[in-house]
Amino acid sequence: MSGGIARGRLTEERKAWRKNHPHGFVAKPEATKDGSVNLMVWECIIPGKAGTDWEGGYFPLTLYFSEDYPSKPPKCKFPQGFFHPNVYPSGTVCLSILNEDNGWRPAITVKQILVGIQDLLDQPNPADPAQTDGYQLYIQDPAEYKKRVRQQANQYPPNL
Amino acid sequence: MDSSDDDFYSGEAMDDDYDYYNSDDAEDNDDYEFIEEDPDEDIDNLTSRRQQQSYTVLKEDDICQRQEDDITRVSTVLSISRVDASILLRHYNWCVSKVHDAWFADEDGVRKSVGLLEKPLVQFPNAKELTCGICFESYARDEVLSAVCGHPFCSACWRGYISATVNDGPGCLTLRCPDPSCRAAIGQDMIDKLASGEDKAKYCRYLIRSYVEDNRKTKWCPAPGCEYAVDFAAGSGNFDVWCLCSYSFCWNCTEEAHRPVDCGTVSKWILKNCAESENMNWILANSKPCPKCKRPIEKNQGCMHMTCSPPCKFEFCWLCLGAWSDHGERTGGFYACNRYETAKQQGDYDEAERRREMAKNSLEKYTHYYERWASNQSSRQKALADLHQMQTVHLEKLSDIQCTPESQLKFIIEAWLQIVECRRVLKWTYAYGYYLPEHELAKKQFFEYLQGEAESGLERLHQCAEKELQQFLTDESPSKEFNDFRTKLAGLTSVTKNYFENLVRALENGLADVDSHAACSKTTSSKHAGGASKGKSGRGKGSSRTGGSHDTGR
Repeated sequence: MSGGIARGRLTEERKAWRKNHPHGFVAKPEATKDGSVNLMVWECIIPGKAGTDWEGGYFPLTLYFSEDYPSKPPKCKFPQGFFHPNVYPSGTVCLSILNEDNGWRPAITVKQILVGIQDLLDQPNPADPAQTDGYQLYIQDPAEYKKRVRQQANQYPPNL
Repeated sequence: MDSSDDDFYSGEAMDDDYDYYNSDDAEDNDDYEFIEEDPDEDIDNLTSRRQQQSYTVLKEDDICQRQEDDITRVSTVLSISRVDASILLRHYNWCVSKVHDAWFADEDGVRKSVGLLEKPLVQFPNAKELTCGICFESYARDEVLSAVCGHPFCSACWRGYISATVNDGPGCLTLRCPDPSCRAAIGQDMIDKLASGEDKAKYCRYLIRSYVEDNRKTKWCPAPGCEYAVDFAAGSGNFDVWCLCSYSFCWNCTEEAHRPVDCGTVSKWILKNCAESENMNWILANSKPCPKCKRPIEKNQGCMHMTCSPPCKFEFCWLCLGAWSDHGERTGGFYACNRYETAKQQGDYDEAERRREMAKNSLEKYTHYYERWASNQSSRQKALADLHQMQTVHLEKLSDIQCTPESQLKFIIEAWLQIVECRRVLKWTYAYGYYLPEHELAKKQFFEYLQGEAESGLERLHQCAEKELQQFLTDESPSKEFNDFRTKLAGLTSVTKNYFENLVRALENGLADVDSHAACSKTTSSKHAGGASKGKSGRGKGSSRTGGSHDTGR
């Protein structure tokens, strides 16, 4: 992508988000120590969907954009050790639309990414496991899996 | 040498009578047994000619031409643009009939899954300005571009999108609209309009590669640096193909050509060689000590008959390090050192304790076969170099000295081509021999008999082409013996070809002739070779059971 488009696009994303974004979600560029804004890293919060075991949790997610954005997707990370079948031990989310080799299209917006990940929380994809713990429990011990999900939701209360 | 010349000439003389004899009931004509080899060979020539037609070597121009032709056909039959036809063909792995079948069965379904839209999904009839879906900037209408679907993007973002995917690899051939929910396919027309020259070239390259690689009927020649592809017609049993670059390979497994050994054996053998190669490296260091004077000797010529330099002048066999005189006909078996069992039974291998140790973990057996496999491999490389030298330098020189036009020296080139081919076959028969089950004694014996025959024939031919030719290259004036040399070399070439064809045939039908062979060997030994090949020629390949009953019936 011709140089500099990443920042321009992210500025536009920021404007669009401010104008309108889904309830309970947070997405804002990282503030650096000197008070300026780093457009290339966004700190976000994804609320667990109401009516699911994830409800009540407000899960922190960081988006790392590269200079190739939007040709290439951002990397999306939960905190290390996040419990979910499709999240790597490092916290990186494994999701088809974030895969630069097939699912990613440059017109996918930050809003679509965040909503997509919210959907993934309660609808894991067992065909694409990324961690042993979450995957095994999801497949073998649904009761224990439920318990662990609720536990994790309690770990991330709303930021007051 | 005499006997082989006889074979050669008798073959020629009988050739014309083939139809006559063949129409007779062969079983009643025992007298004609010896001529049966020639009709046999005729049939084989026909088969090999047919087999040669079962594939075509394609140069880049041919590939492009075929691709263009296929696109034209689909575009004409389906009344769609060439760009769409190209996208469709790629989706169906360049199989025209599959495209037609799928299209006529369910055009809408095909259009949907491939992404060929008939009308826009979105339209902005009154907008003066449009927002690019990638950079979110506003542009005047005429500054944005869309595929058929109508999703608007500015040309800078289009260029970035296309460049990013083209540089990511052949996936750019299945490019879709940048809009996440849109399945519209992006074809070569958009690439041509928007991509840089370099990216356009890459895209074309991927398109051609796809035509060869995704097509089930074509493969690239695996030789390093070769840019030809081979189109193979399925259904022929023989997978060996000869590329125009002179490399021959197996179309099925793309290893080098390995007829008569099957692909499974070859891959097993190659795997084994990888695992053992470290061991083999020191065992097969390039030199061996002369068995007599112990000076190290490097093999610098192709054939196995070694002569130590003066004053020693000991002549020995490179493979078994035995005296060459032991390899003569006097000792019964001509060139018998291909036989692993013989050496073992005679106790030659029991001498050193280290050897016994090795025998325990079967390395000894492997060494035996590997050494012969590798020797023939390097012998073949040497022969290839010699052939090249002959074609580029010696032939012209020889033509001058012997006052013979080069066109009449073709027999030398033919001899060398035969040597190269035989070394290849012989090499693979050692992989075959290694995997031949120990308990199938009759098969093993028959195999070693055929291999030995072929090998001794080849050694004679190789020696003649390599050593005896030398004197004619140093002659001052035309030599009277040159005509004799011609006769001898041409004869040896033909005889060796026969031997190897027998070998290849026998291995390809899994040594199925071993039953009839065993039955025949009870009768006079001079007749059994003819009898065995007669069983085949009369009744078609691999019909050993029929051949066997024919023998008992007699």
